[in-house]
Order: sequence, then C-alpha cells, then structure tokens
Amino acid sequence: MTFEHVFRLTMSGLTVGMIYALIALGYTMVYGVLEFINFAHGEIFTIGGYIAITTLVWAGVDSDTSAGVLIGYFIMAVAVSVLLTALLGWLVERIAYRPLRGASRIIPLLSAIGVSIFLQNLIILTWGPEAIVVPTAIVPSQVVVMFGVPIRVLALIIIGVSVVLMAILTYIIRSTRIGKAMRATSQDMEAAEMMGIETNRTIAFTFIIGSALAAIGGFLVAMYYGSLKFDTGFLYGLKAFTAAVLGGIGNIPGAVVGSLLLGLVENYGVGMKLGGLAWFFVAGLALGLYTQTIRVPGRRRRHIRDEIRTPAYERRIVNVYRFPIPNALKVALGPRTDALVSVSARHSLRLAAGNLFLAVMAILFFLNHDSQFATMWQHAISFSVLVLVLMFRPSGILGEHIQEKV
Amino acid sequence: MTNTRLRTILAVLLATAMIAAVSSLIGCTTDGDGDGEKTTETIKVGVHTSLTGGLADYGFAAQEGIKLAGDDLTGFEAGDKKYEIELVIKDDKGEPAESPIVAQQLIDEGVVAVIGALTSGNTNSAQPIYAEAGIPMISGSATRADLVPRENFFRTCVGDNIQGKALADWCVELGFEKVAIMDDRGDYAVGLADVVEGHLTDAGVEVLREAGQEGDTDFSAQVAKIQAFAPDAVMFTGYHREAGLLYKQCREAGMADVQFMGGDGIKSDEIADEAGGAANVEGVLATIGGIPQDSMAGWEDFKTAYMEATDKEPGPYAETNHDALVAIVEAIKKGESADPADILKNLSDVEVNGVIGTFGFDANGEFEAMGGSAGLATIVRYKIENGAWVSAD
Amino acid sequence: MQEKTGVWATARRFFGRVPRWAYALAALALAISVPLLEQADLIQTVWLRLGIRSLVYVLLAMGLNVVMGETGLLNLGYIAFFAVGSYTTAIFSSPRLGYHVDFWILLLASTGLAMLAGLLIGLPTLRLRGDYLAIVTLGFGEITRITFNNWESVTNGPGGIPQIYRPMILGLKIDKPGEFYYLVLIFVVLVAIMLTNLKSSRVGRAWNALREDEIAAEHSGIHGTSLKLLSMVISAGIAGLAGCLFAYYQQFINPTYFEFLQSVLVVCMVVLGGMGSIPGAIAGAALLDALPEFIRQAFSRWLPDLLGEQTMDSLPVAVQNFFIEFDRYRMLIVGLVIVVMVIFRPEGILPDSLWRREVREEDPREVEKTRQKLFDFDEGHQDLEA
Repeated sequence: MTFEHVFRLTMSGLTVGMIYALIALGYTMVYGVLEFINFAHGEIFTIGGYIAITTLVWAGVDSDTSAGVLIGYFIMAVAVSVLLTALLGWLVERIAYRPLRGASRIIPLLSAIGVSIFLQNLIILTWGPEAIVVPTAIVPSQVVVMFGVPIRVLALIIIGVSVVLMAILTYIIRSTRIGKAMRATSQDMEAAEMMGIETNRTIAFTFIIGSALAAIGGFLVAMYYGSLKFDTGFLYGLKAFTAAVLGGIGNIPGAVVGSLLLGLVENYGVGMKLGGLAWFFVAGLALGLYTQTIRVPGRRRRHIRDEIRTPAYERRIVNVYRFPIPNALKVALGPRTDALVSVSARHSLRLAAGNLFLAVMAILFFLNHDSQFATMWQHAISFSVLVLVLMFRPSGILGEHIQEKV
Repeated sequence: MTNTRLRTILAVLLATAMIAAVSSLIGCTTDGDGDGEKTTETIKVGVHTSLTGGLADYGFAAQEGIKLAGDDLTGFEAGDKKYEIELVIKDDKGEPAESPIVAQQLIDEGVVAVIGALTSGNTNSAQPIYAEAGIPMISGSATRADLVPRENFFRTCVGDNIQGKALADWCVELGFEKVAIMDDRGDYAVGLADVVEGHLTDAGVEVLREAGQEGDTDFSAQVAKIQAFAPDAVMFTGYHREAGLLYKQCREAGMADVQFMGGDGIKSDEIADEAGGAANVEGVLATIGGIPQDSMAGWEDFKTAYMEATDKEPGPYAETNHDALVAIVEAIKKGESADPADILKNLSDVEVNGVIGTFGFDANGEFEAMGGSAGLATIVRYKIENGAWVSAD
Repeated sequence: MQEKTGVWATARRFFGRVPRWAYALAALALAISVPLLEQADLIQTVWLRLGIRSLVYVLLAMGLNVVMGETGLLNLGYIAFFAVGSYTTAIFSSPRLGYHVDFWILLLASTGLAMLAGLLIGLPTLRLRGDYLAIVTLGFGEITRITFNNWESVTNGPGGIPQIYRPMILGLKIDKPGEFYYLVLIFVVLVAIMLTNLKSSRVGRAWNALREDEIAAEHSGIHGTSLKLLSMVISAGIAGLAGCLFAYYQQFINPTYFEFLQSVLVVCMVVLGGMGSIPGAIAGAALLDALPEFIRQAFSRWLPDLLGEQTMDSLPVAVQNFFIEFDRYRMLIVGLVIVVMVIFRPEGILPDSLWRREVREEDPREVEKTRQKLFDFDEGHQDLEA
C-alpha cells in the first residue's frame, strides 16, 4: 500500500464527501426544524442536475463557446436550476408535507416516500429512462498533479464551492434574522410561534435553502461525472442521509463532518487492505475506552441519583448517549472534566457491546490483513455504517441530545 | 415514419387480398382441377420483449427486426396451406415478475411460437410456463450460459460462454499478463465476467475482479484499486454508460497506456459521449457474437428495410430477432404444420437462410452454422478507430 | 342529529348494514370462483396468474400490516424477509446445489428463517423511534439484497436460481396455475383468520395501544419491546411463507425481485387499504397489483368491444394512450396515491375504526354514535323507506 494509493483514496473520498455534504445539509436542516426525514431530497437533487444540464443544452453551448461566455452560461444554468429546484422544494413542502404537520411520526415520512417515487417517475417521463449526457466539450478537463497523483481541477472546484456555500449557510443561520428564526423554530416550534416568528415561512425557507444546495450539488455531480440518470439521486440521497445521521442529524457541522467521513469510509473500506483498516477499529476502541473509563465522581453520583428518582420513560431520555464535541475535547484534554457519561445498566451493556464489536472486528481484520473487501460490497459498507450508527449511537458523532418528544 | 410502415403493411395486405381474390377466382373458373386453391390460415407468433424499463432500446430494435420479418414472410406456403403471420407483441417492462404474466397472455392469445424473452432473467422466469404449454421460444438476445439446454428454448445469439472465451483468448493473444475485470452486479455482466475470469485464470493470467453497481456514477475506489494493481487491460462486461464512466475515470487518474476492453454491451456509439470525449475511448476493444454485420448474407437489404421503417440504424440484436421468426417459419414449412409441438420438433433440424447467414440449431438449442456460413457462431472483434467502431480482425 | 341524505349517504347506510362476515364470504366466493371461471373458459388463464401474484402480495400486505398497521412501526425493508423465504426454498429445492427437500419442511424452514431474521433485525433496532426504524430497516433490506446478489457460490448471484422443483403435497404434484392458486388462497385464508383473531386478542389490543401512545401503553403494564418484537417476528414469518410459495410458483428467482421499490409497493398497499385493517390490506394489494392490468385490458379490449371502435376513437388519443400504456404511469401513480391518501384519507379505503379515530382525531363518543347509527338496522330501514 503506497502513499499514492492512500492519497488517491483520500482525495476521491473528500470529493464524494463534499457532494454528500451538499445533499446532507438539506436533510439535516429539515430534520433540525421539523424532526422529519425528507425522503424526496435525493430526487430534488437529481432534478436540479437535470434542469441545469437541460438549460446548458438548450442554450446551445459547444466547444466553440469562449471561456468567458461559457462561465456566463454556467452561472445562468445554475441560477435557473437553483430557482426552479427551490420552487419545487417549496411546492413539495406546501403540498405534501404542510397539511401533515402534527400528524403522527410515520405519516409525513410516508408522504415523503410517495413524493420520492412520484418525482423519480416524473424524471423518467420527462427525460426518459436513459442517462442524459453532458456535452463533453464544456466540461473543464484540466488536471493538476499533487504528490504524483493527478487530480481534476473540477474536484478542487467542487471542494471549494462546497466550502464557500457552507460558510454562507453558517453565516445565514448564525447571524441573520431568518437564521435566528430557524434556530428558534427548531428548538421549540410552539414557543417560536408565540414569540411572533412565522414558523410556516421559516420552514418553507428551510426547504428552499436545502433544495437550492441540492440543485448545486446535482449540477456539480453532472459536470464531474458527465452524466445523470433518473435513479442517481436515490442512492446519493440515501448516502447523504447516512452521512447526516453519522454526523448527528439536525447538526449542521455534523452533516459536513459525517459526509466527509462517509466518503472516506467508502473509499478506504474497499480500497485498503484489511490490515490497514484494522487500525481504525483499534483507534476507535482506544478512544471509546478512554472516554468511557474516565472517572467523573461528582457528576456521576448525581446522575445515578437522578436516574433512581426519574420514572422509566424519562430515564430513557437521559440514557440517550450524549456527547457534544466540546465535551469530547474536554475529555481528550484530561480527566478533570464534567463530561456527561450516563451509567445505567442498559447503557453500559450497549457500550460493552460496542467495544466488543470493535475489538472483534480489529482482531478479524488483523488475522486477514492481506485480503480486502471486493468493491461489490461498497454500498453494503455504507448501509452497514447507517445501521450501526443508528443502533449504537443514534445521535451521531456531533449529535446533540436527541429530544424524544413524548 | 409510422406512415411508411402503415403503407407497407397496407400494401402487403392489399396484395395478399388481391392474390387471394384472384386465386379464388381461378379456383372458381378451374373448378374440378383440384389444385391451385390453398386454404389460408392465420398463425399468431408471440413477441415477448421489453419495451419499457432500462432495456427499452434493445426491446424496440428486437420488435422492429421481427416486424420486418413478419412483413416479408406473411403469406408463405407450407404444404397445401398458406399462412398469414400475425405478430402479438407484449411488453414485460424488463421485470422478471411481469414475465410470467406476459407469457400467459401470449399463450392465451393462442400463439404457436414465441420470440423472446429479451433478457436472460426474463427468459428464465417465463420458460417454465411456455414449456408447460409446449410452446417453443427462440430468443435473439438472452445470452446467459446456463440457459441451455432447456426443452423448449433456442437462441439465435451467441452465449456468454462463447463470448467470454473469445474475450479471454483475445487477452492472451495480445500478451496481457494482468487484467482487471469489472462488472455491474447485473445478470448479464456478472455472467460474462465469470466466464472470462475462469478462462484467464486457466491461461495463467492474473485477474483482479472489481464491481460497481449499475446506475453508479462514482468508480473512484475501483479505479484506485485497479491503478494499484497496474493491469495491462481493463475490461468492463456490462453496458456502455458505466463502461464510459469507468474508462473516463481511469484516464483521468493517469492510466494512459492501459487497454480498455468490453463485451457487446459497450459497443454503442454513445460510449464516446459518456466517456467524456472520443479521446478517452480511442482504441477500445469489444467483441460481438455472430459474424460482422457487413459480411452477413442479407445485411444490406435488412439495413435498408429497417431504416425505411424506423429512420434509425438497426439497433443491437435486431437481426438475430428477425432471424428467429425466419427460423419459426422454416420449421412450419418443414413440418407442414403450425402446431406448436411440430414446430418444436422441427426446429432442431431446420436450415434457416436469415440475415445473419445460414444456420440451424444444435441439440442444446444454440444456433450453429450450416451450409456456406462457416464460423457463424464465432465472435467478431471491434475496435474504436478515429472515433468509430471498426472491425479489428 | 340530522340524517344525511343523498345517494352517497344512503348507499353508505345500506352497505354499512351488511354484516362484515358477509363481505368476507363474498370476497372468498369471488376468489374461489376465479379458477372455476377459467376452467369454464369464461376468462383467460392470465387472470389466474395475475390472481396468484396478487394473492402473494395480499399475504405480504397482511404481513406488513401487522408491524406497520397494528403496531405502528414502519418497515421499509420488508421485502428482505420475503427474499429470505424465497431463497431458502429456491436453494433447497432446485438443481442448483442438488437438494430436493420436502414442501412442508421448506415451508416451515422459510417461515422460521424469516422469523429468525426478523428477530435478529428487530432486537437491536426496535428501541428506535418510528422514522429511524424505517431507515434502519431500509438499510437492512438493501444489505440483504446485496448479500444475495454477491453470494454467488450459494445464490448464483444476479443470475438467480432457475428450475425450482414443483412442490409435492400429500402425494399431489402441484403444477397447474389453478392448483397453485388454491394453494396460495388456502394460506391467505389461514393467515387472514389467524390475524383477525390475533387482532382482537390481548396481543392485538396491546399492539394498537403501543401504536397510539407508547408511553401510556407501557404505563398500563404492556411490555413494549417484547410485543414490538413479536409483531416484527410474526410479520417476517408471513413474508417468509409468502416467499416460499412465490418461489415454488415462479420456479425462478433472482435479486431483482427484492428491490427497495417492492417494499415501497407493499407499504403503499397497506396505506391505500388502511393501516391496521386486514380487509384493507387485502383490497389494497389486489387493487395495486391487478388494477393496472384491468385498466389496460379494459381500454384495449373490453371497452372497444362494448362501445364499438368509433366511440373509442372519439376519445382524445392522449387519453386512450394513457390508459393503454397505463403501466408506464403505474409507479408515478403509486407515488401519487401514497401522498393523496395520507393527506386526504389517512385511514385508507377500508379503514380500521380505531386507526380512523386516531388520525381523524375525532371524539370517540361521536364516532361510536355514528357507528351505532350505521349498524342500527331498524332506524336505517325506516330511513331507506322514507
């Protein structure tokens, strides 16, 4: 395993991860505000890409178009696609989700699945079941060589554009009125409404922003790979959702971290030998054991007392593994922290199971250190990440405390 | 274009009607001579294909090829009867769960033989039902190796086992020592890749097996692994879209000298666009079952007729499906009976003069060359030269 | 309260008065008659095959209804249990590995293995909340399909397992479509009876309580996790049974039968029919599976025969094509149906009374009153005469 091989995997992991992030942000923002999985988000992403490509083809760009004009066309295509896709996102929210607000939890999810199937078939009926191809002449094909590995300039553009977009998004959410409204709505919708926030408008805005990001993601994917198919968004959507869950759903930096991590996991997972992968399990186990065995005398006793006093259903809320990043840093810095480590028997059992799993995986991988996963298991690896995260740590890496509204 | 076809059909119908009228007139006038009059019988031939779904293009080509054969052959004579062919076309949407329903519909319509199904999976799920009804089926495109032998199944295309061996032989001939084979986890691609891998391993060639999912766009992990393996050739056994994406990503990763190869799924003109430009696919090698189209016995006529009917170049497997109907007609002529059982019996020793040449069927139901068409069931090699597919022999 | 008048209300009252078992018997009689009609050459054999497929979907919809409708846990990977059942049967009753195991053993094995899969998937995941559970099951479903697709030494990968043997039951070889139809129908009836009993049992009521309010139910002494697990296992078992019958009937299976869209289709059947309603599950499955073919046949064959070609031609071409090529729009309409149903009629077409009350948030007493009216013979009778 050479350095180039690992670097290659890392770069492709980051590129794919950035695309996941653009989609995952849509999932995570909607979840943060509504606690609802917008299953149709992947299709919105595909439609964004389709609209952009169709606009470019319609505008008639070809290899003779000069660079400046081409950039103008690109901006126009992205603008058209962002506008139409945002409109679509708003329409979907207005028609299929808003009437169901307040219904029991799986009902809006069913509606979202319906919308997803509907949109997928709408793409088939509008653009056909075959893939559409981006006119090759307009795709920038420059390559830069880093550490002896050729990297497409477009990959760097994708990473750059994603970073800029995320910075803008962070600014919007941190410092604008509508951002504040979004945060307030996500904390407590009723209270926000009472404080004079128009929650319906805020939610609509969330959908519009998410769809716009997805549209840009769709355009970038189409440019990078050169073609789009009606079901492209389904898998990207699922992966992005996995990433959002991995990072902690509802948490915006979490979505980005989770996406990059998932991109790397996918590429390392099938690209590296098991001996190399085993070290990741070892690292995870070490970190886990370290944080789990820290003694936090005062806090811990209080927690136990709390748990004895609280009734069963509330105790479950307490038990949800809670570990935001500042705490993680504090734990890493030294034992004198107030990290919250809840200690019920069930929770300890779950932690033990997790540790055992990591240890067994590490040993198994070390024993077979020369073999590696065939790429045919690549999607299965992503789905396994999804399943394992939801089973052992539903709040994700940077997840906030999951509010079980009872 | 529909008009042209409609006109052709009308003309054929009119002509047959006139012939029928005239012959009946003659029959009347020469009453007592006993010959000259032939009773006309309409036989239904089923076309079990996929007109919607992912392989709709292939289904369309097959359907048009069969229609041409139907227009040509209708009104043929066998023994003391004249037969009108009525094609019953049904779409199984490319779903194996739909295939048995379509099979039953065709049986209910009273077809005497079936051309299809389009894919190996759909053939597999329909074959027991046709077998139960004793109806022979001839597929022009179901290539999976384990489809033969079955009691009622014949095919006019080359099986994966033959094509896979040819691909492997080609690699050995070119002196490759390391070959990366990638499939799309689909029925056709995995079947072909397995055969190639087996033959290459036997020949002492080092093989790396990789896979992407059909519909995937990102093959970066696969490319990185292939690059670390440093093969002489990269082979993709699935369809052209994913092949184009793979070749493109290989080139972008800096594999400048590697030889790209593939089976008949990649031989499409769209591959250049899908690979991000003709430069990325220059020199790609592909194999196709059967003889080169240019040297097929009836290719020029077939192409002209096909383009007249559809305004398109003949799609993949149009000619093999065309010849499947010719084979059925030959079997009826031979047995002088349009009974499914007789057709089934006679199919094993017909001699068919089709577009692809003169052929018959062996005991397994695979087609084999007869008469002058030596080497019919061999493999043709193609290559992209200056952005176009040309014969590489 | 003023009685509603008008055709619709009158019809509702009238049909509401017919006891439920009468509907069930009528449906059963209709189902039994299909092969007889085919025998008498009144309908084509294809309806029998469509019927068998619909019955398999009925089994699946009834099974999913247990976990999704009764217990309120959305399972988006339900088809994986179907796959487990199908593959168990296919592997052990085909030339693929040379086994030829008896029908009854395989029936039990398919059901049992699917139940085991349900247990293994349910154990770690059932404490997750509704939408998370849906996504986890989706993940498991896809992993199962990918595993069957990649495990070539046993499942033959994407090539699938052909030439599955016909089952021998009590010395009878089942190979005609009519025989298969009755075989599946028997199991449909058995499962329907079992589930109806289960629904009104302590277990069924506990499931419904968990669906409506988990916390309240647990405080009433219901052990949530084990009951949820039970519903997951039972529903998985029914899918395994359906998978076994399907593999025997189809004689060929490959992984494309078990894609995510199939799970969505079954979910749609349950939503359309009405969550928690067994008649609803049956109606939803039959409608979604067989209706597209009905519509296509009706517009390409029966209506032209009935009305004459001219009347048909007077319809706009687009309309004709829409119905004749209805299959192309099928999934589009499936998606639309889900959205429209959950917004406008979340209780489904044949609703379960409890679930309707829950989604409509009606006052239970009001509902009870209407029910009494609906089922009150004398009062309705007078109404009809007046």
